[in-house]
Amino acid sequence: MLRTPEWHLLIVWYFFLGGIAGGAYFTAAIADNFGSSRDRSVVRTGYILALLMIGICGMLLILDLGTPSRFLNMLGSFKFWDPMSIGAWMLGVFGLFAFVSSALSLSPDESRAALRRKLSLIGTIFGFFLASYTGVLLSATALPFWRDARLMGALFLASGASTGMAAISLLLFLSGDAAGEGFKKVKRADRFAMIFEMVVLALFLVLLGSAAAPLTSGHLAPLFWGGLVTVGLVIPLAIDLMGGWRVPAIVPAVLVLIGGFILRYVVVMTHA
Amino acid sequence: MARTLAMFTDTSLCIGCRACQVACKQWNELPMEEPLWTGSYQNQAHFTDKTYRLVRFIEQPKANGELQWLLMSDVCKHCAQAGCLDACPTGAIYRTEYGTVNINQDVCNGCRYCVSSCPFGVVAFNHDTGRANKCTFCNDRIHNGLGPACAKTCPTESIQFGFRDELAAKADKRVAKLREMGYQNAQLYGADSNGPLGGLNAFFLLLDKPSTYNLPEKPLLPQRNVLVDSVLSIGAALLVGVTAVVAFRERGGKADHDA
Repeated sequence: MLRTPEWHLLIVWYFFLGGIAGGAYFTAAIADNFGSSRDRSVVRTGYILALLMIGICGMLLILDLGTPSRFLNMLGSFKFWDPMSIGAWMLGVFGLFAFVSSALSLSPDESRAALRRKLSLIGTIFGFFLASYTGVLLSATALPFWRDARLMGALFLASGASTGMAAISLLLFLSGDAAGEGFKKVKRADRFAMIFEMVVLALFLVLLGSAAAPLTSGHLAPLFWGGLVTVGLVIPLAIDLMGGWRVPAIVPAVLVLIGGFILRYVVVMTHA
Repeated sequence: MARTLAMFTDTSLCIGCRACQVACKQWNELPMEEPLWTGSYQNQAHFTDKTYRLVRFIEQPKANGELQWLLMSDVCKHCAQAGCLDACPTGAIYRTEYGTVNINQDVCNGCRYCVSSCPFGVVAFNHDTGRANKCTFCNDRIHNGLGPACAKTCPTESIQFGFRDELAAKADKRVAKLREMGYQNAQLYGADSNGPLGGLNAFFLLLDKPSTYNLPEKPLLPQRNVLVDSVLSIGAALLVGVTAVVAFRERGGKADHDA
């Protein structure tokens, strides 16, 4: 006889966009530190996308509160064993990093680049945190399936990585940059991320065993198997591995994004 | 630190009169709620944001086929290790010097994390006020030399109030007595401070195993897995980081920023 927190679409979107924010930032940081100057568009797009997503995330969280005017009370304490407490702080810290990184990536001054690269590696830690902590948050509750999922944080992180990369490649495509080398590299990174996500998802289900039933055989099962697994992972990966298959390069990215949203949706709505 | 206060609810004495529910509503100025027919004499199926004391009617067939009720006046357990308290990010949920757990209505911002973190499903979200609430252990009464309203009003003294150590000793004697009388399944729930959740400050004497009363046999702190889950997430982050580096690095292994 437990009770659901009644988190609905506002929180589903927060989880999804927060994952993109973390994934996009970290992709930009990797491109910044290990890529070449041809990847500059990925770097800039990633940092700015992360900043935009964080801004929206903050608003989503505030709107979901029962008493939104008291959102600052989230900074009233700091409990390192409490995912929501550190999450509130980390969102702010990561926002600062995203702002500074975005500003530095827009500056034409190349002497800033070294600082930006170092900062982004630190910021990546907070980005990873944003993408994954919401999974740990769910698994620290008393509710079945959520409380049994030891890999929820890891799964959200993997999805954050793949959706962040997909979002960057979508933006590059829309801004006419799809021929660049940066775009190719993001697609390659996304392929690895998708494979990793599938592995984590498989482990996630195996570890859960029968506790995964709300996802795999409840009323959300068609969305899970059809939406996340098939549309969101298997099909885009297949298209990508078959060398594009005469499909516009952006289609797999869009499918990954849809799949990422569905993942957060089915997980959160298990306890609507 | 004052001595820990507790409520001991001896369900073997409960007659199902529900005076405790009424006293609680009256003292806390809680409104009436439409009773929901769930096939039972219970007024509500479970605690709500406006029901802090709830008498449960559990139908149980006896050996001879007749039906009996197991009656239990259920309440917030004020756990020594409280999932709600550990979950609250604003610090609104706090423990008083008496060991009881309260939600500060001036601080709570209605995130509802506590609602999902109670192993007993006690804490509820009030859609009218936009905050979470639950039994306060009559915080104002205990700070003025009185006991909780429910304990005060109970006509059979099924709900007893006092210092935790004294009540636990009484409870031990009572269980022994009941077993002597033939109630083989009489047992305490939450009396042991070495037990689950460090003991419950509102503990019970049950006449059957906890699952009969829809109580968890061994309630656990929801935050116990945070460390493991975090380590696994960090591991995933490192792995995905490696794959991204491989995807982006230039041939020759050196970042070619000026090419």
